[in-house]
Amino acid sequence: MSERPLLFELKDLRVARGGKTELESFSLALHAGETVVLLGEADSGKDALLRNLGGFPDRGEQVAGQIRFGEEPFHFVTRRPRSPLRTAYLPAVAAKVLDPTARAAEQFTRILTRRLACPQAAAREELRAVLARFDGAPSVETLDAPVENLAPATVTFGLLAVAAAVTPQLLLCDHPFADLSPLAAERLTRALLAEQKRQGFAMIYAAREPHPVARLMARTIVLRRGQVVEEGAAPQLIAGQTHSYTQALLKALPLDLSRPLRPSPRGEPLLQVQNLVLGDSARARRRDAIAFELRRGAAMGLVGEPGSGRRRLLNAILGLERRPGRIVFDAVDLNLLSETMALRLRRRVAFVTSRDGALDPRMSLWDTVDEPLRAHLSLTRELAADYRDNALKRVGLASHNGRAVVAALSPFDQRRLQIARAIVAAPLLVVIDEPLRSLDALAQSTIRDLLAEFRIESQAGFLVLTSDFSVAAALCDDAMVFDNGRVVERGPIAMLVRSPKEATTRALVEAATLKPVA
Amino acid sequence: MSAWRRILMAAGWSGLGLIAIAVTMSEFLARWPADAERVGPVLLAPSEQFPFGTDLLGRDVLSETLHALSVTAMQATEAAVIAVIAGAFMGFVAARLPRHAAAILRWAVGSFAAIPPLLLAILIVALTARGYFGVAAGLAAAPLAFVRGFDRARRDNFANHAAYARATGISASALLNRDLTYEFRDALLPTLARGLAAVAIILSTLSFLGFGATPPHRDLGLMIAAAKATYFDAWWTAAFPALALVILILLARLAAGLDEGERP
Repeated sequence: MSERPLLFELKDLRVARGGKTELESFSLALHAGETVVLLGEADSGKDALLRNLGGFPDRGEQVAGQIRFGEEPFHFVTRRPRSPLRTAYLPAVAAKVLDPTARAAEQFTRILTRRLACPQAAAREELRAVLARFDGAPSVETLDAPVENLAPATVTFGLLAVAAAVTPQLLLCDHPFADLSPLAAERLTRALLAEQKRQGFAMIYAAREPHPVARLMARTIVLRRGQVVEEGAAPQLIAGQTHSYTQALLKALPLDLSRPLRPSPRGEPLLQVQNLVLGDSARARRRDAIAFELRRGAAMGLVGEPGSGRRRLLNAILGLERRPGRIVFDAVDLNLLSETMALRLRRRVAFVTSRDGALDPRMSLWDTVDEPLRAHLSLTRELAADYRDNALKRVGLASHNGRAVVAALSPFDQRRLQIARAIVAAPLLVVIDEPLRSLDALAQSTIRDLLAEFRIESQAGFLVLTSDFSVAAALCDDAMVFDNGRVVERGPIAMLVRSPKEATTRALVEAATLKPVA
Repeated sequence: MSAWRRILMAAGWSGLGLIAIAVTMSEFLARWPADAERVGPVLLAPSEQFPFGTDLLGRDVLSETLHALSVTAMQATEAAVIAVIAGAFMGFVAARLPRHAAAILRWAVGSFAAIPPLLLAILIVALTARGYFGVAAGLAAAPLAFVRGFDRARRDNFANHAAYARATGISASALLNRDLTYEFRDALLPTLARGLAAVAIILSTLSFLGFGATPPHRDLGLMIAAAKATYFDAWWTAAFPALALVILILLARLAAGLDEGERP
């Protein structure tokens, strides 16, 4: 690596804000074409480093340390260092750097017009040319739609194309693929690496969980609360000869999807779906109707890429979307019930989701957990408080201020609060939608354990919607694999993982394992 | 909401509280009853005996300003309540109508709100009676509150958390109850304060133009109108009532968090 020219070297970087140290004694030498992965949880200092290297420090941030570019002498770091490097920034779609109501292509073109100092038409052509280089990328015309109407992976391809079109010397990747399905993340990582090989830029990649470490197989720096825990090559870290914190991060995700084949619980039928059509065409009606049964105590994974039809099925079951077909819940046909009666039956349904704003941001912790008790049961205030406190204790939120509003909670705490709300509802059916998305590795592990424990204790039926086979393997016994609005394969997860018959299943299983991107 | 805005709002409400106390005790604070003429020399400049001076009829401007502030503040409060009930609350309810009906209603009220509230108030006074000018001011300010309440309720109603609640069996009435609770807590008081500022201007302008208050119940607008003839010779006759009106409006705007609101 040392044969390549040195891009920059940081010495003893310290970033503090409001009396709190965000990054301490951080040193890094980065050479042209090199990749460094920063692995850590939230507040580990990754963001502080990216902010300062990108030249957009937060207000009130204090920075100290030394930096040199190339073979120049060291000079002191300032809040807005004048970097001679051409730097590009690749954020996640969830970071909401784009206007959701404006057309994506228009926004990308505007950024390129400014960065490349060229006319809009030329910027658009440059965007088109870069997108054409990526395997599976959308066309510029596809991006001519409001950001909110596009799939996150589609927008991420656009963001990657913008970063690549700048022909950077240094690319700062801020958890760019963390909110995507493993398959989409793998596809985009492949495009990113191909572009790096083509242009030879150096890359600093911030990751909150170990998948990017395994995919990129590069030098990795593990950070915790602003301190470097350890640094080493990815194969060495994954092999396990590491600090206990790194091991905890790596073990938080299941490395091995294989599991013993165990019989699915054979309780009473709880949910029966018959002839439910997810597609809109007449052909879909005839060919792709879905039928399945979920018994009490059983857990079924609905696995597939976004847009494969899983969410339509979920919305139909939750009553958020009407579709032709029959849904029988607890021996009652939901289509035959009035809206009021269906609503009453749905009291026995709990919903845990990673969707933005699932919980009312204005409500307090206590009100959020209390609501099902107040709305569905006429409990005394003391009894309701007992149930609530018990549920909050089980998910580890008992020590939080109960009057704090949901908007002030982290995504991890909001997810735990949803589980507490599900626990007090004593549901018959628990519907879980991408339960671990956008969380740190350790938070993912906690949520997975909480849900698994809840499943054992409640004996409810579980429906788990996910694009990650490792999540399905951890929480379910059986799975249905979706593609293009229909179920392409179904069966016990152990069988699907061991011998997938369909290409979609194989791709999903492979994407869920920790492995380098070819 | 930022800490800075909270501080501004707290300052605004504290100031309005002080005005409320001054209004309640205006009979005691004012040295002379309302409209008491010849209590001092005519057009006397501010002095130790008459801190705000006297007007053309020898009335104490301080006492008159206190009485007029009391009339303006009381009428503005009534009109602001009318604006909130007729506007924000109706908007909140209307947001729960079927989609097309709600859209048509929003469009109609939005178009109505494009008419300047003062002209609307004059029109309502002309169509009804002069005695209803407070109601007219409230109704004229109502469309703005309606549009804001409507949009806010519509956004809450179709937010992800509403879908999440419905999926887990939370009834429409429980959701409505929840939204009303937070609407009251988060939006009603700022809307009321914003309405207060808007109707105080409308009421004073109506009186200034001769469509509003009549003696002996003079409000600040009427006091300023009466001072038109003497303003260039005796600035205090108009300046102090105008200052009282500015303070009232400024405090109401502060209490609303200096929020412009969503324009229709």
